[in-house]
Amino acid sequence: MGSVELLKLFVIGLYLAGTILSLSGILVARKSLRSVGMACAVAGFALHTFDMGLVTSQPGNSLTAGAFYYSLFSWLLLLIWFLAWWRLKLGFLALTISPLALLFYISSLRLAPMHVTTPPTLLGLFFGLHIGALFLALALLAVSFGAGLAFLHLERKIKTKEPLTGFRKDLPSLSTFDRAVHWAVAAGFPLYTVGLLSGFFWAKLTWGKVFSWDIKELTSITIWFLYASLFYQRMVTGRQGRRTAILAIWVFALAMLSMLGINLLTPSHHSFTAVPL
Amino acid sequence: MNANIHLIGLNHRTAGVDIREKYALSSLEAFEKMLVHGPVREALALSTCNRVEILIVSDGSPAAADHVLHCWAEACSQPVSGLVSHTYIHENEQAVEHLFRVAGSLDSMVLGEPQILGQLKEAYRKAVESGTAKIVINRLLHKAFFVAKRIRSETGVASSAVSISYAAVALARKIFGELQGKRAMLIGAGEMAELAAMHLLGAGIEHICVANRTFARAEELAARFKGTAIPFDALYSKLPEVDIVISSTGAPTAVIHARDMKQVLKKRRHKPMFFIDIAVPRDIDPDVNQLDNAYLYDIDDLKEVVEENLAQRRDEAEKASTIVREEVQAFSHWLGSLELQPTIVDLLSSGERIAQRELQKTLRRLGPDVPEETRKALEVLVTSLAHKLYHEPIVYLKRRAREEGPAERFVHNVRRIFNLDEETVPEDAHVCRHKPSSLSGDQICQDKPQ
Repeated sequence: MGSVELLKLFVIGLYLAGTILSLSGILVARKSLRSVGMACAVAGFALHTFDMGLVTSQPGNSLTAGAFYYSLFSWLLLLIWFLAWWRLKLGFLALTISPLALLFYISSLRLAPMHVTTPPTLLGLFFGLHIGALFLALALLAVSFGAGLAFLHLERKIKTKEPLTGFRKDLPSLSTFDRAVHWAVAAGFPLYTVGLLSGFFWAKLTWGKVFSWDIKELTSITIWFLYASLFYQRMVTGRQGRRTAILAIWVFALAMLSMLGINLLTPSHHSFTAVPL
Repeated sequence: MNANIHLIGLNHRTAGVDIREKYALSSLEAFEKMLVHGPVREALALSTCNRVEILIVSDGSPAAADHVLHCWAEACSQPVSGLVSHTYIHENEQAVEHLFRVAGSLDSMVLGEPQILGQLKEAYRKAVESGTAKIVINRLLHKAFFVAKRIRSETGVASSAVSISYAAVALARKIFGELQGKRAMLIGAGEMAELAAMHLLGAGIEHICVANRTFARAEELAARFKGTAIPFDALYSKLPEVDIVISSTGAPTAVIHARDMKQVLKKRRHKPMFFIDIAVPRDIDPDVNQLDNAYLYDIDDLKEVVEENLAQRRDEAEKASTIVREEVQAFSHWLGSLELQPTIVDLLSSGERIAQRELQKTLRRLGPDVPEETRKALEVLVTSLAHKLYHEPIVYLKRRAREEGPAERFVHNVRRIFNLDEETVPEDAHVCRHKPSSLSGDQICQDKPQ
């Protein structure tokens, strides 16, 4: 086993430990477990960053490999989670983000490179505008998904007047979760728009047409409309609470369907293929 | 545990309010000074509306508890007989355990209420000021505060609200997070609603407006809460501006209807609202709770929350009791090792006294012209000499205590060797040893080690 493989195994081990400890720390309301889980996640993140640094420093178009996409998404998920933890004290997002980051990181190891014709001079631009912006938007959607789920759960408890037992007693307030949804949508939608538009621009440059009725493109447009509706409700009408939380959950679910289902299972410009075992 | 700690008291379980008010102590310092005589070496008294607790450290005389009861009755100008059937007397470990339970609020009427700890701290402060809290009480009270802190941080015994008004504030926090900047409206005036409003203000709410059918009453309440009074008819126009509504009118039908609230919520752009309905019959249409971003709790809902929280606290009290037992053991252990401490202190004080006496004699002999530096140097010399001379006996005592457990025998011998208790030795003490037949048995025993 080479040192790179060993590094990846360490990352998986730390993410797994971080996920299990964080989840059990939250569910049994034990702060020390949560802290150790967080420390594991941070250590895994540091190694993961180093791993990505190794990939980007390699010659050739390794950036366009499907493997790197999923690894990047996993890395961004954690980055956004750390930010949410730091700014909004939303450690509870570990419940959703931590397993997702682990899933995407493990998946990234099983993907074969996707063939994209990219002139090396435009690689950075393509990457920053299309992949970077879209993945950041999706990571923010993951935050609104996690916060939305927590909001709905806590709200149901308050509405039905059920006692708040166990970890629910330590949950932040409804307004904190709502603010997290708001923050993620406010930053995520413009990024998603930039990512989508740059994708069309890129398609024109590489394939000679803006839109090719590819299933991935159709799903992305649908997600954009739903995301736009969510953005409008939050930012323009000032709508808060349950309805926007539900919509955020659906938008994220659709985005994950697109990313895991369409990219892996359907033939399209964006297909990834799994490495045979 | 060889130290003689007694805790004598009465509380809400052993005495009705009529007895508690008769035997409440008003001037704790004076009472504590009155206690510290005869067998009682240290004392601390706590007197609240629910309990009177008197903690003493005595020389082991069985009369100590009686002495306390008499002083207590005398301080309250009441007969001792009135106390006897209502008081409990705990000794040593039991006393320590009881004190820890009181400090941790496990013995309170409302389990886990935080006030008792503050009252105990205040009582301790007074005992320190009056000079009746010394080595054992100092340590015991610090340990009690530590136990209370452990209970608070390691168990949920004080974590959930157990009064209607606090439960309402806790729910408001669960909905809004911090209450700073939030606005509330009080509709009608009831004691519980006013209390809830008061707690909300205490939790940082920005403003309270009051609506009442009698405008003068609304103004009166608004003045108390430093808020504004609004006419009852203007209630709906003000509702979009408030986040929390507390209602407690005597109206026979609902004052706030779900159909009207839809408009109100729309006007406030669906920002959340929390309704607390303390009125019976209810003032707020129960369907309000079905609206998005509107949360309604009536008096029964709040009572259920309180009941649930009380049950949780009772479960947590079990964990707290384990902590108390652990700490009682730790304190007993400390006390066992501490028995040397007064002897060591006495030994050093005795040495210093002798040194000072000899220093004064020497200075008198040297005359008034001794320079200040010389005087100071001599003082340092004699004190240091005294400490050094007593160093070895102290080390010896500590070693014996460490190696052989309770060091009573060695402590006793050292006290006698250095005459720390300043007993007068009869002139013919030596005679009694050599001519036992000429003296009574009592006199012989007097000189034998106990």
